[in-house]
Amino acid sequence: MYIVEQGISMADPVFPPLQPPVLEVRNLVKTYTEAGSALTVLSDIQLRVRAGETCAIVGPSGSGKTTLLGLCAGLDDATSGSVLLDGQALENLAQDGRAALRGRCVGFVFQNFQLIPTLTALENVLVPLELRGDSAGRPLAEALLKRVGLGERMGHYPSQLSGGEQQRVALARAFVRPPKILFADEPTGNLDAATSAPVVEMLFALNRESGTALVLVTHDPVLAARAGRIISMRAGRIVSEEHTGHGHTA
Amino acid sequence: MATLPKTKPLPGSLLGAFFHAWTWRMAWRDSRQQRGRLSLYALSIAAGISALVGIHTLKTSVQHGIETQAKALLGADLLISSRRPIGEEIFAKMPSEVRKTGRETAFSSMVSIPTGERSRLVQVRAVAGGYPFYATVETEPPEVWGRLQTGGGILVEGALLEEFGLAVGDWLKLGARELRVLGVVKKGVPRSNRFSGFAPEVFIWHEDLASTGLAGGNSLVYHHRSLLLEAGSAKELSAVVSTIMGFFPERGVEFQTPEKRREAVGESLNRVNEYLGITALVALVLGGIGVAGAMHAHLKRRAQAVAVLLCLGCSTHMAFAVYLAQAGALGLAGSGVGTVLGAVLHAVVVVAAGDSLPVYVSPWPEPGITLLSGGTGFLLCCGFSLLPLLQIRNIPPGATLSERPGARMGGDWATRGVCALLVLLVFGVALFNGATPRRALALTFGLSFAFLALAGAAQGLMYLTKRFLRPAWPYLLRQGISNLYRPHNQTVLFLLSLGLGIFLLLTSWGVRTLLVRQMRFDAGGNGPNLYLVDVQPDQVEAVSGLLHAQQLPLIDSAPMVTMRIASVKGRQLEARAARKSESEAAGAQADAQRVPRWVMEREYRSTYRACLNATETLVAGELSSVAGGPDAAVPVSLEQGLARDLGVEVGDTMVLDVQGVLLNARVSSLRKVDWSKFNLNFFMVFPPGVLEGAPQFQLLATRIPAGQTSGQLQRALLGLAPNVSAVDLTSILSTVAALLEKAVRIVQILSGFTLAAGVPVLLGALLNGREQRVRESVLLRTLGASERQVRTILLVEYATLGALSALAGSALAIGAQVAMARWIFHSPPGLDWAWLAAAFFGAVLASSLAGLALSRGICKHSPLLLLRGNG
Ligand SMILES: Nc1ncnc2c1ncn2[C@@H]1O[C@H](COP(=O)(O)OP(=O)(O)O)[C@@H](O)[C@H]1O
Ligand SMILES: [Mg+2]
Repeated sequence: MYIVEQGISMADPVFPPLQPPVLEVRNLVKTYTEAGSALTVLSDIQLRVRAGETCAIVGPSGSGKTTLLGLCAGLDDATSGSVLLDGQALENLAQDGRAALRGRCVGFVFQNFQLIPTLTALENVLVPLELRGDSAGRPLAEALLKRVGLGERMGHYPSQLSGGEQQRVALARAFVRPPKILFADEPTGNLDAATSAPVVEMLFALNRESGTALVLVTHDPVLAARAGRIISMRAGRIVSEEHTGHGHTA
Repeated sequence: MATLPKTKPLPGSLLGAFFHAWTWRMAWRDSRQQRGRLSLYALSIAAGISALVGIHTLKTSVQHGIETQAKALLGADLLISSRRPIGEEIFAKMPSEVRKTGRETAFSSMVSIPTGERSRLVQVRAVAGGYPFYATVETEPPEVWGRLQTGGGILVEGALLEEFGLAVGDWLKLGARELRVLGVVKKGVPRSNRFSGFAPEVFIWHEDLASTGLAGGNSLVYHHRSLLLEAGSAKELSAVVSTIMGFFPERGVEFQTPEKRREAVGESLNRVNEYLGITALVALVLGGIGVAGAMHAHLKRRAQAVAVLLCLGCSTHMAFAVYLAQAGALGLAGSGVGTVLGAVLHAVVVVAAGDSLPVYVSPWPEPGITLLSGGTGFLLCCGFSLLPLLQIRNIPPGATLSERPGARMGGDWATRGVCALLVLLVFGVALFNGATPRRALALTFGLSFAFLALAGAAQGLMYLTKRFLRPAWPYLLRQGISNLYRPHNQTVLFLLSLGLGIFLLLTSWGVRTLLVRQMRFDAGGNGPNLYLVDVQPDQVEAVSGLLHAQQLPLIDSAPMVTMRIASVKGRQLEARAARKSESEAAGAQADAQRVPRWVMEREYRSTYRACLNATETLVAGELSSVAGGPDAAVPVSLEQGLARDLGVEVGDTMVLDVQGVLLNARVSSLRKVDWSKFNLNFFMVFPPGVLEGAPQFQLLATRIPAGQTSGQLQRALLGLAPNVSAVDLTSILSTVAALLEKAVRIVQILSGFTLAAGVPVLLGALLNGREQRVRESVLLRTLGASERQVRTILLVEYATLGALSALAGSALAIGAQVAMARWIFHSPPGLDWAWLAAAFFGAVLASSLAGLALSRGICKHSPLLLLRGNG
């Protein structure tokens, strides 16, 4: 079914070109130098993600997906090229400047959930609000946790939650302060099919409601197909890009 | 979700972040599931600080005790002595700080048994007023000292009774009186005369003095007044003392204070203080190692959480502040507990040691020093935890995406700054512990060197194992050894915690050994304890024959010529005195070169010889062994204290009055004399070839073996050479020996405590790196490794690391001990190989056991459970 729609979307982009890009990657190169020999992990990447757009990155393991995601979010330094996040060039920002920028407009969902193990579910969700100095966000966090089906588990620690539950807490954390762009690195990679289904549903639902742009790294073709655009990578290069027509019905 | 609530941005500066409520809330939440581990951190702090506080409060108390002991050697705060009676009226107007006044009249006289058959020259001391104030006099039967000063009688030395064949309760005749022997004085009556003790002492009540009819016409009477002053600081006391001195403008009055008496205790007690300072530093640095290790392990566990916070927009400052707050709060708690424990330790040691403390020490530690030590310890612990804390800044936010190790610990400026701060702090603590700046510098340097050497050894070790590991080696051995250099290795951690710990513990034990040996030597020694004075040149042969016959060693002998100072640097004694009274009358400034009167007036007993003895060191000039030309001034060597009192230096001239003959002398050298050794030492030493013609006596020194008295020798001397007197120092030496023995006990107790506090900290450090190993071992288990195989791999790694750390630590400790023996104690290093071996094998055993314990834990659980728990 998505093959059919793919044809439509190619010809008929739903988003008008006036939408400003939240993420713009130009000529991005990443090289690791170890023991004298250089290993080029990303070469000459160009990418533009507009507000509200959803975009999946697929490719074999080791093709540089995670590296690209990290560079886009300013978690690492590029060797050359530039990343503009919400109009700001990351290479011109220091660590703390990037952190502040992330705090303002970036959300994350990780493969291994990355909840802070010493905080309860509710406290984990509250962290992004607290980091902005917002101390009145508790009802909002509670509402979101209820929304992801964990209203009864708010006082539990991550070690007391299953993988799917942990990932739902992570979703609540990502959307408690709706970001302009959400980076998700294999969000269902550690979950089985049955568990990942509700997580995926919630991810897309929340994404749609808050008008967030989504950059999603995944192995799962079904998951990738739900994004508006699929970018395929191989050996550090983008080899193809296709539009599915999904994910921009907001 | 559309309307964002109003927000206040979090502070950007570190200081602002530290004081922000979120930081503390986060620090609190973050600690919740880590309480057990964080308590190890707090415990390390508590251990280090309790040792510091305990040692400091004890040191202060003991110092206090030693001061009191020095007072016991004098028996009073001030002793005023004169050849002329001291007017009663002066004591009526004494300052209010004078609490008690004792009096004593001392002279030589004959004592005999009532039938008159036997008699003996004795030193009579007629006492009253409760003297001595600071020493308890031991008598047999007990309590008779107090009875003497209320009801009269006579107390004698044991040797005298032995000589006369009398017992307690018999009668002795002194002058016109017959007095009943109340008992024997064993120890504790301070000597009042600076150079008294030429004969056995007898004590009578001052009220009985008149009835003996002896005091009147006796020209050799000494009058003493002993004062007990209101307790106060050293400064207050010395102010009172100088006020009192002002009441005695006339010549011929001598003053003695406890400080002068303290010289008799020697340098040993200063060393005890130094030792305690070093021990406190060792305990603190050990605690610091524990602190740094525990913090390091804690933060390693929290790295992912930090990375998440960074991803969520937390600034590095905020993240750093969270853990700084955690470390600071725990440090404060640990310091509080440590301070209380230290105070308890003080009380326990005081109560448990009881009698073995030199003097009464209150079980309540001094609050000021307790808080100060606790605070200092807190600062140092914070400093130590900063090193691992700084690593937070190197955690990349990207660590959330992949498990690749983040940026390595960098030699950035902040880290260097913290290292410099730590070095400064250690220096400061060493100074605070009472070391001289030079010694503190040496200690700091030594510690830094050990630290760098161990870090270097760790790097070298990793290089070597990587280089020399052979694929041909058995798999398990290879696996264990390669753990030394692979990522997540614990080599640096082990060498810096276990290695440094072993170094510190062995070194502190080594210093203790050196110190105890030296104090025992000072206390017992083989020095003389009996002098034979006034032996005529023609009696020397007979007297030394007598010593030989009684199997007593002739330790030393010296000729002795009495003389007085006629003038110094051309200035007459009289002129000096006149000028002084003039200036005093005019209210002008005191003469810059004021010389204590007794220094100019007293009689000097000088000797002549060509070389220094064992207890002297030359501090200026050259000791002349030849007299020089017939007209030239005679070169003389002065004791440095006398030179200071006289205000002379090498090259100055003085005129000496050698029993009527004036002798021109030139100061050719200054000597430092260790008076504590009771060797035959003199203020002035002349070269041979000058004084041979002058009237002189010989001075012989011997040693009465422990447990014997000089009674037999004195009896024999009476028949052979009645003019010879024996100066018996056995009782004063046994007082000093007892004091040193007590100090040794304290040193032993405290070094034991340091050991007890240090070992658990080190064991904790051993387990700091366990998580990585548990994880790997579980993986090996899931891959099919047997329990035995996992255990062997862990055992090989931990045993190797333990052995290498112990080896490096002991090697450094040996170096430190050799250095200290050479430069501080001036003695052979006296390495205790048995102890070194025990420490080495103990460390290997402990770390092997740690490895075994780890493997037990792994093998007891199912692999799945552990893998999940580590997720
Ligand atoms: N810190 C690093 N040092 C060396 N190579 C690295 C480092 N991080 C990633 N790589 C390499 O970069 C490549 C891409 O990795 P990654 O982005 O994680 O791939 P993906 O997420 O697509 O599986 C891999 O070949 C990996 O070995
Ligand atoms: Mg990846």
